[in-house]
Amino acid sequence: MSVVCPRGHQSEATDYCDQCGALIASGGTTQVLPALEEADTSPAARREPCPACGAARSGDDRYCESCGYDFLSPPQSPSPWEAIVTADRAQFERLAVAGVSFPADYPERRFVLADGENRIGRSRGHPDEPAPEIDLAAAPADPGVSRLHATLERRDDGAIVVRDLGSTNGTMLNDNPAPIAPREAIPLADGDRVHVGAWTTITVRKR
Amino acid sequence: MSAFTTECYQNEYLPLGASEVNAIVTVTSDGAAGGTNQPDAAEIVILDTSGSMGVPRRKLESAREATRVAIDCIRDGVAFGVIAGTEIARAVYPGDGTLVTASPEMRAEAKQALRRLEAKGGTAIGSWLTLAGTLFATWPERSCHAILLTDGENQHETEEHLAAVLSELDGRFQCDCRGVGTDWRVSELRRVASALLGSVDIIAEPEDMAEDFRALMQTAMGKSTGNVSLRLWMPQGSSVAFVRQVAPTIEELTGRAVQVDPRTADYPTATWGRESRDYHICINVQPGEVGDEMLAGRVSLVEGDETRATALVKAIWTDDQQLSTHINREVAHYTGQAELADCIQEGLEARKEGDLATATFKLGRAVKLAAESGNDGTMKLLQAVVEVDDAATGTIRLRHDVATVDEMSLDTRSTITVRVGPGAG
Repeated sequence: MSVVCPRGHQSEATDYCDQCGALIASGGTTQVLPALEEADTSPAARREPCPACGAARSGDDRYCESCGYDFLSPPQSPSPWEAIVTADRAQFERLAVAGVSFPADYPERRFVLADGENRIGRSRGHPDEPAPEIDLAAAPADPGVSRLHATLERRDDGAIVVRDLGSTNGTMLNDNPAPIAPREAIPLADGDRVHVGAWTTITVRKR
Repeated sequence: MSAFTTECYQNEYLPLGASEVNAIVTVTSDGAAGGTNQPDAAEIVILDTSGSMGVPRRKLESAREATRVAIDCIRDGVAFGVIAGTEIARAVYPGDGTLVTASPEMRAEAKQALRRLEAKGGTAIGSWLTLAGTLFATWPERSCHAILLTDGENQHETEEHLAAVLSELDGRFQCDCRGVGTDWRVSELRRVASALLGSVDIIAEPEDMAEDFRALMQTAMGKSTGNVSLRLWMPQGSSVAFVRQVAPTIEELTGRAVQVDPRTADYPTATWGRESRDYHICINVQPGEVGDEMLAGRVSLVEGDETRATALVKAIWTDDQQLSTHINREVAHYTGQAELADCIQEGLEARKEGDLATATFKLGRAVKLAAESGNDGTMKLLQAVVEVDDAATGTIRLRHDVATVDEMSLDTRSTITVRVGPGAG
């Protein structure tokens, strides 16, 4: 058993906190908690990381709160690939699309690439229209990204390819200013940058 | 097994913003077991047998006699030996690279071996201590104690060598040091004694050696604990300003800390008999708000893995100046005793260098502090070196014809303190 001091430390000593020395009142403010070790060993409280995204599992929930991974699904080797979405100022300036401004704050977004097709697009939020796996609808959204823009596919042989789905503004690779041909699978290497819309860059990385 | 008790004296009330917490912790050991049935000790007498020990002749004879007396005090079962020191160290007894277990026969044999001692050669205290360390190491698990006697300066090895030996030994045995006559250096022997957690004293006349050795060995035989540490726990964000023993003598322990965990350190206190010692502990904590109470330090006496006693040093912040401005009597007293020792040592140093103004100022201050605290022993020693005109104000004149022995006695015994008496506070 240990007690909690007024500053929130767990203390084995019950007179003064054995971390900060604060007086531990003997009255009602002292909360007696089970020792940390006990909490850690109980199976219900064990927090295994999600094999897909690494987030801690909450209790014995079936689905990961972060990515929706099904903890009861047959174990798979986790995807070795991820797509990192950033706002790319260099790309924005190169394209210089009229009437579009560069976002002031764009937090980096990461998506784990599943086997098969991973669609890049912007969902409209219709319940009967499934959202693309790589959904770029969240604000600040890039207006140059089509509803269904492109796909990143993980093939059985482990290779990864990008395919433009006939988007309005096209898809570009790395420093090449020419858009890739629509509906054609282009193989990608670790670190390749896929440009979509007015300023979005998706970097494909091996984890 | 000894029982320890502690008492803590402090004013735990601090004004807002204050961070320094002072406390005097008195530790008393009842000395139970009295040492009578505790044979697990080891003793070595280290005798200086350099050429000067033969001048006058009675010096070596007195040392021999004193060692005989000390050997007679060693109880059966204690491992013991004798080392003769010159520019090298020689195991006089038993001389086979280890120590023997005391018994009537072995004590007689050892005393016989003392006859062979000759006064010839130099002085290399570090080498004597190294040999003592080697011999003690053959009896692991014992509480080891030595008595070291010298009559001269450490001439035949460098200061660096002695310092290296002391740091190498790192308190592996306790050593009481005695200087006979007036040709040895107080600072040198004090350094050895401090490093080895022992006492240092002057024996002015060779004839007084026997009595001193008897007292030292009897005290050693009266120890009823193994090595004990003073363990200090402090809260997060705190630091030690100092930890020092302040009674019966002043011993700085701050630099002796052995870290146990991030918030706990052990300070060595060696072995305990039936005795009482006081410690002044000064801790800097993070200031709290009005009404906050915190534990600034948890002081424990630890023998092996066992905690024998604990005292709590607290801090409570208040805006009541009546409470916070009061200085605790014990803290004030021992702050004064520490300053007294410093004033004497600095005053004597200045006097030696011919800086009479500083000497007069420091020794005058010492007289005032000794008078205020009722430290009569130190006052008497001071009076042999200075003429006291007015003790209350510390008005003194330096004496011109001071005997070396008086000056050295004052220096050596400057760290002896008195407890709080009616005259203090």
